[in-house]
Amino acid sequence: MWLSVSQQSRTVQEDHMTLAPTLTTLDTLPVGKSATVIHLAPAASNGQGADVSRRLMELGFVPGERIRVLKRGVPGGEPIAVKVGQSTFALRRFEAALISIKPE
Amino acid sequence: MGAAEQVHAPVQPALTPLVALLGNPNCGKTALFNRLTGSRQKVANYAGVTIERKEGTFTSPAGTPFRVLDLPGAYSLSAHTPDEAITRDVVAGLRAGESAPDAVICVVSAVNLRLNLRLVLEIQRLGLPMIMALNMVDVAKKRGIVIDTVRMAQELGMPVVETVAVQAGGEKELLRVLDKMPFGDTTPPFPLSVIDAVSVEETQREVRRILDVCTSHESDIGNLTEQIDQVVLHPLAGPLILAAIMFLVFQAVFSWAAVPMDMIKNGVEAVGGWLGTGLSEGPLRSLLVEGIMGGVGSVLVFLPQILILFFFILVLEDCGYLPRAAFLLDRLMGRVGLSGRAFIPLLSSFACAIPGVMAARTIQNPRDRLITIMIAPLMTCSARLPVYALIIAAFIPSRDVGIFNLQGLVLFVLYAAGILSAMAVAWIFQRIMGSHGQQPLMLELPSYHWPHLRNLALGLWERARIFMTRVGTTILVLMILVWFLSSFPGAPEGATHPPIYYSVAGMIGRALSVIFEPIGFGWQICIALVPGMAAREVAVGALGTVYALSAGGADVATSLAPLIAKSWSLATALSLLAWYVFAPQCLSTLSVVKRETGTLRYPLIMAAYMFALAYIASFITYRVALATLGG
Repeated sequence: MWLSVSQQSRTVQEDHMTLAPTLTTLDTLPVGKSATVIHLAPAASNGQGADVSRRLMELGFVPGERIRVLKRGVPGGEPIAVKVGQSTFALRRFEAALISIKPE
Repeated sequence: MGAAEQVHAPVQPALTPLVALLGNPNCGKTALFNRLTGSRQKVANYAGVTIERKEGTFTSPAGTPFRVLDLPGAYSLSAHTPDEAITRDVVAGLRAGESAPDAVICVVSAVNLRLNLRLVLEIQRLGLPMIMALNMVDVAKKRGIVIDTVRMAQELGMPVVETVAVQAGGEKELLRVLDKMPFGDTTPPFPLSVIDAVSVEETQREVRRILDVCTSHESDIGNLTEQIDQVVLHPLAGPLILAAIMFLVFQAVFSWAAVPMDMIKNGVEAVGGWLGTGLSEGPLRSLLVEGIMGGVGSVLVFLPQILILFFFILVLEDCGYLPRAAFLLDRLMGRVGLSGRAFIPLLSSFACAIPGVMAARTIQNPRDRLITIMIAPLMTCSARLPVYALIIAAFIPSRDVGIFNLQGLVLFVLYAAGILSAMAVAWIFQRIMGSHGQQPLMLELPSYHWPHLRNLALGLWERARIFMTRVGTTILVLMILVWFLSSFPGAPEGATHPPIYYSVAGMIGRALSVIFEPIGFGWQICIALVPGMAAREVAVGALGTVYALSAGGADVATSLAPLIAKSWSLATALSLLAWYVFAPQCLSTLSVVKRETGTLRYPLIMAAYMFALAYIASFITYRVALATLGG
């Protein structure tokens, strides 16, 4: 299980060499699995990342928070319905990729 | 439907205290606003922008009058959308022509404190007098969430009141606290920079701390919303349910509306008949019976269908289904280069393209916003419904195909044709403009709840009022104009055609029919197309007048359907349906597009591409229908 998650996220991790190997990003978390938020990427290549990260934090995606993937859209596994606190948010894959998590 | 009222909010002297309702989306803020004000509401726009401004009045138990402003829902004061920017600017007193509120009622959902409380802490930094309205406490109790409001008030340093906005009397406690607040010497809010004095993370830690000491979650009763979502968002069942719901809506528009429509029709006919016998033959009788009763009456009859359509839109919105539909359609939208957020503007466009075009302001990326605006008029607006309904009733037999009614099926196909062509056009625009970076979605999927009858009734009343105002003003004036143009000059001696043939309108119609003959439109239809530019449903009214005058008798006041069934071929009818799927829009849509995009270029492109599509679609439909049906 754990292995497959880290395999899926290999490319992501190569972009973020600073992260510990057990970490992955939210976009790779399978449906029904829970994880803890570790950190949010400060900015993405399109320059909008900082803005998006701030809003994600405002919505509750803060380090230490427990989250769970409820559903994924078809085709292509996006958007991703994520439970955070008592709320559920639908995120696109690139938004979810800004959130580093530690799967349970 | 109708152009949203363009009245700018009048700036009132601040004699009565102004309280602002502020909160996250989905916290029941508007329900609380409705509860406080009832029907004492004024809906206008914020000056210079096209975001709805809702203000109302109420009197507290102690007899103090209050003004209350329902601010657009916001997650944060660091605004991401124009809606949030309005909320930020109003509450910070930065909007010209709007005074900062004397007090803020921050509405939070008791079942979603984790998310909602952060905004309270943020607003508090502005230093305005504040009350926190802990809404939906009834739902929270059912879910086993226990909240110590006394402790929470201490922790926050502001009054905390429990409200149940959906229940009569659910606002009592709030009014009581409001009466005790001192008003008069309000200091202006601090500058917005105070918001960033504390980092987002730190604020979130504070939220958690307060929740830890003030709330306990005794039992995590199986979350019903999650269980429903397992089905509604299911990869296979989800889209099927969405299709079934849309289908039900279009079936209902036809089958439920039949009885009330007959009643309105009979009523209008009775009045027309009474006028016809009571007045002597002459221009006045013709104006009243054929011009006004024939024209306006034939539009009025569609009120029940429009209300049924809105009934479903409002119910789906209120119970929380709409964001799920956006979730299911997000991939499809992404594929043609649209933002997931485009769903809401496009859905509004089913009511009318004007609010749809305006709602596109919630899309951040300028290119995404432009594409959404350009395709919004392809969504079948409610003004097309009368045209569709008239032609379908006249030409499509009401028989069952399997479990479906054929008329409902045709209507569904027309709506689907609009949606599919919009997707195709969006894809082409995206190709022309080049692709771009990804757009955030961040769409909240709120808990489901039963729709509230009171809010539903207020929403439908608002719609009925807008429609009736439109019938009474724009449509009435246009119908009188059409009647005049269609009646003068009269027929010459020894005329072989009905008098309208020789009138100004007849001449225009005949001139236009040179262009429209290849797609099957005769001169009578061409006459109706021109006023149909001002408002699509006027085309139906104009046809009513034109055919009433063509037939020239008192027997025809409103029964337009059998008349056109006699005079048009099926190919012409289908061609006109295809025409209205793309229908070069109403002028008010084009003018809003000009205002929203700030240039004449885009409304011109829009009119040109829609005209071309309409002509091509009608031409193909007409020719294919002629070939297969033999005219």
